[in-house]
Amino acid sequence: MSKKNSNLTRRAFLKRAATVAAVPYIVPASALGLDGKVPASERIVLGGIGIGNRGSHDLRWMLPEKDVQFVATCDAQRSRAQAVKKIVDTRYGNNDCVIYHDMRQFLAERTDIDALLVTTGDRWHALASIMAMRAGKDVYSEKPSSMTIAEGQGVVETARRYRRIYQTGTQRLSEGNFTFCNEMVRTGRLGEVHTVRAHIAPWDAAEMRHDWLPAEPQPPKEQVDWDTWLGPCPWRPYNSAYTRGGWRGFYDFHTSCIGEWGAHTFAQCQVAIGAADTSAVEYNYVNNKTGDGMVTRFANGIKMILQLGGWRGSCGVRYEGTEGWVAAADGYSKPDVSSPAMMDDFRKLVYDYQAQTQRPMSHVRDFLDCVKSRRQTVANAVMMHRSMTTVHAANICMWLKRDLRFDPVKEEFVDDAEANRLRSRAMRDPWII
Amino acid sequence: MSKSRMNIALLIVFVLASALQSFGQTIAPAGSEGKLIAVLKSDASRKEKADACRQLGVIGTKAAIAPLAALLGDEELSHMARYGLEPIPDPAVDEAFRDALGRLKGRPLVGVIGSIGVRRDPVAVPALAEMAQNPDVEAARAAARALGNIGNPAAARVLQYRLEHAAVENQLDICEGLLRCAERLSADGERDAAVAIYDKLREIDAPHQVRAGALRGAILARGGSGVRLLRQHLRSDDYILFSAAVQAAQELRGTQVTRVLTAELNELPADNQILVIQTLAKRADAEALPALFTLAKGGAKAVRLEAIRALPQIGHASAMPVLVQLLADSDGEISQTAQESLAALPGKQIDDAIMEMLQRSDTAHQLKALELIERRRPAGVTRALLEASKDDDESVRTASIRMLGDMGSDVEFDVLVDLLLSAKSTSEIRSAERALSAKCSREAKPSADKVTIRRAVYGAVGEGGSADVTEKVAKMVADGALSITASNANFGDPAQGVVKQLQIEFTADGVTQVKTVRENESVTLAVGATPEPYVDALLSAMDRASTAQKVALLRVLRVARGAKSLDAVRAATRDADAGVRSEAVSVLCGWPSAEALGDVLKLTKTAADRKAKILAVRGAIRLIPLQAISAAKKLAEFKELLPLIERDEEKRLLLGSLAAVPSSEALTMAMSYLDDASARSEACFAIVAISEKIVQQEPGKVINALQKVLGATKNRDVTRRARATLREARKAAGQ
Repeated sequence: MSKKNSNLTRRAFLKRAATVAAVPYIVPASALGLDGKVPASERIVLGGIGIGNRGSHDLRWMLPEKDVQFVATCDAQRSRAQAVKKIVDTRYGNNDCVIYHDMRQFLAERTDIDALLVTTGDRWHALASIMAMRAGKDVYSEKPSSMTIAEGQGVVETARRYRRIYQTGTQRLSEGNFTFCNEMVRTGRLGEVHTVRAHIAPWDAAEMRHDWLPAEPQPPKEQVDWDTWLGPCPWRPYNSAYTRGGWRGFYDFHTSCIGEWGAHTFAQCQVAIGAADTSAVEYNYVNNKTGDGMVTRFANGIKMILQLGGWRGSCGVRYEGTEGWVAAADGYSKPDVSSPAMMDDFRKLVYDYQAQTQRPMSHVRDFLDCVKSRRQTVANAVMMHRSMTTVHAANICMWLKRDLRFDPVKEEFVDDAEANRLRSRAMRDPWII
Repeated sequence: MSKSRMNIALLIVFVLASALQSFGQTIAPAGSEGKLIAVLKSDASRKEKADACRQLGVIGTKAAIAPLAALLGDEELSHMARYGLEPIPDPAVDEAFRDALGRLKGRPLVGVIGSIGVRRDPVAVPALAEMAQNPDVEAARAAARALGNIGNPAAARVLQYRLEHAAVENQLDICEGLLRCAERLSADGERDAAVAIYDKLREIDAPHQVRAGALRGAILARGGSGVRLLRQHLRSDDYILFSAAVQAAQELRGTQVTRVLTAELNELPADNQILVIQTLAKRADAEALPALFTLAKGGAKAVRLEAIRALPQIGHASAMPVLVQLLADSDGEISQTAQESLAALPGKQIDDAIMEMLQRSDTAHQLKALELIERRRPAGVTRALLEASKDDDESVRTASIRMLGDMGSDVEFDVLVDLLLSAKSTSEIRSAERALSAKCSREAKPSADKVTIRRAVYGAVGEGGSADVTEKVAKMVADGALSITASNANFGDPAQGVVKQLQIEFTADGVTQVKTVRENESVTLAVGATPEPYVDALLSAMDRASTAQKVALLRVLRVARGAKSLDAVRAATRDADAGVRSEAVSVLCGWPSAEALGDVLKLTKTAADRKAKILAVRGAIRLIPLQAISAAKKLAEFKELLPLIERDEEKRLLLGSLAAVPSSEALTMAMSYLDDASARSEACFAIVAISEKIVQQEPGKVINALQKVLGATKNRDVTRRARATLREARKAAGQ
């Protein structure tokens, strides 16, 4: 490589050699004096990896944003890629969305793409995010965003190494009801918070399946690239049920009922109690199938209890302090509070939060804003990794059927060699980090 | 076969069978390592061997290493062999991986290189150096990353050499390896070596993310002296390096960094200024404020807006005068942004200053102050709002009066009543009405005297234990609690590990009810009643009020509820003033509880005009289900109403109410509307809702009704529910 001329504008840089990826920043449109209209050269050029059912929701939130232009999607399954292309082309009234099947080719060729929406199955979230960030892309990844503690570390290190913007899809961190609950804690209105409760998914179990579904004839690689679909996970024979969402509940592909919603609710609880950069230090085993009632404890003494029931909606959290409690879940028109007077400050707290953090009440918008401003997102890589570490440790506690202690500084279990071995899984070649 | 050979064969079968049984588990039973190793050595299937590898990864010892390593060259099982080996801490694993390097090719080789990187085996550096030159691109790239993971000086030297000599397609992985090395070296205290790597990567024509990452590392690894590099790149014409430097500043602590950032601010183009301002906001160092004040007051509008938004993020009271000044800015967007920032600026000093604003003579500032007060909700604003409620300007008076109801928790009720009685304009009267209604709602208190607990049970939702907690709940109510939370903390745990519910049968204000909630939810046992002195004050005011004020007071009485309020409204229906009479009828028909039903039913027949009759019919339809009487009685009352229902709107309202009546007669009544196109949708919904409640008691009727619904509705949700209930009904009917 030779010395380069450093005096480059953003898109001029794109004309460089193919091995060189796109310039990572977008000039804030507000500076351009265009009354909110965003010139093509300054839009966030977006692509997608593995956009399926859930990813389509994210895509539909992103497409209406004025400063977004979605240009290409990559998927090991042709039908899913075509479905995404249809959504995008319909939106733009053209036929321009390009389909890729090989992620390495996609990342190497599309140097014009600034950011990627990673909404594969859970098994690919971390690896695809790492590969994308290594290629110079910012990443919005669906959750659960890691399969192991080691994968989460990889995401954090890569984001930090290349100064990439990363957001995990814990969108409740950008919603009014949940923000109110968090601010009730942060501003001390609940007094001394001693207990938080995190909803876990009411299906599946902590112990997951290890069986293989019966082998079916493998479709042509152009339709479903089974080897790529499996990615870093252990090989198993093809069965179409996996590719239709039937991978959930399998150890190789999923993080159990604890990870399914804990990816959201643990993150919410940890942000609320100021533990977004750490993980729980104690995990008390409960003798049931789901982990319901497991008490975890943070270094600051606050308990987080995994709770299956007692909610009227999904992905609920409840924070309890010496002066009262608050709770929210999807489906609650407003938060539950121990005293109606608490709701008097609802607007104040949510507005203050927005003004004091400049975070919008839109998770997607927060990501896009941060792509431009280069500051960390509300659900950044560290927050994702630390809350997912709590998820993984709770799972490991259930698998080993014993209490565990965790050192969040060393990121290792204390005096438990078997638990430590479960912090990582060897990735299948060639999909190694 | 000899007997001894047969015994050995049987033993092997037994061992394998018992090992295979454990494959459904994540963790193999203690002491099963030997069995798992036996599986690896047998002709067991790929699945069985893969499971054994996985489980050995958790419990395997030195004994498992050789059997696992033997599979590294097996294309089908190579990955699972690494899966088992990678977590075993014994150094013999490293030896096994190094040995494998020389004999593997293709994907198994790539995998082993990756595992060596994960284990950070320093002895493997020479072998990986060879691998980094491998013509197999995947192997060479994997070696570069693995060397980076090892991250010692020897690995760094290899990668630095490769950077100069490797093929272009491998450069990104070599850069990745070098960045990993630099991170390791920096963490190990070898900062000079780390800086040398970062500086090298900054010099080359690398992809943007590498140059940005290298600059960030170069600044941070230099420690205090990195600030010089930061300053240099804040002036860079290359936006990549400029933004990377700004990002590095987000990770640096100390006032010196703030000074560097602010010193460069004025020299930057607007786009770059915005990025620096956002970083200053995130760093929240008050040292940045003077520079931000300057930018907030003048210059490019986008920069001004960003500087104003930065102020509440830093959250220092000294920003207040600047923001107050900007409230008067001629540009509405600047003014509005300043107001939003001021609203979020924390601190009592800010509250005091806003109170001062309220006392100024100019209306514009007063109104701004009121908006800020409403947004900030500071404590102790009653006196200031009361003063403002007597202001010369009507808009100031109107806003202050309304806010008194919401925020003036210590304002006397009588004072609010007087404000209503002295209000002249419609908007002031409306504000006073809102304030009084808010006060009534906020201070309505349920009374434990009017609640009797008949029975309370806490226990499992399905099968499982439960406990009679009647006495406990009764005591809680006697102690003043009228919201009871279903929790183990209150009632112990009669069914461990399962979801529980709390069911309470109670009488409140003479009405018996049964309420059930799930664990951690709360039962509210009584509706709050407005304190009697408040009601008395409202009634007393009625005598002194103008027509418009009386109309407002009637609406407040509906919020206050209670027998006295209802009597007053009844009396007002006979008032001499037509306007008061009309509003009284309207309030009566909208009364929130069933006590008004008798009056409303009477009005359905006696009301003087059509509008009042319609209001009464609608009120009756709404109130009938609220009574604590049998479903049959409710239905009888509905039937009496039928001749009075003329309009489609009331038919639909009736069907909505019928949906809450669980009886076969209600079902029949709802079905009679299926042929009425204007009410068919509501009829289908009501039939499904009733059927869901009586499916076990009346499966035959439900089947008949739902079959008709399925032929009549196109609503997906109604269809789904109808089908589900139909299945249940057929099961209940034994079909």
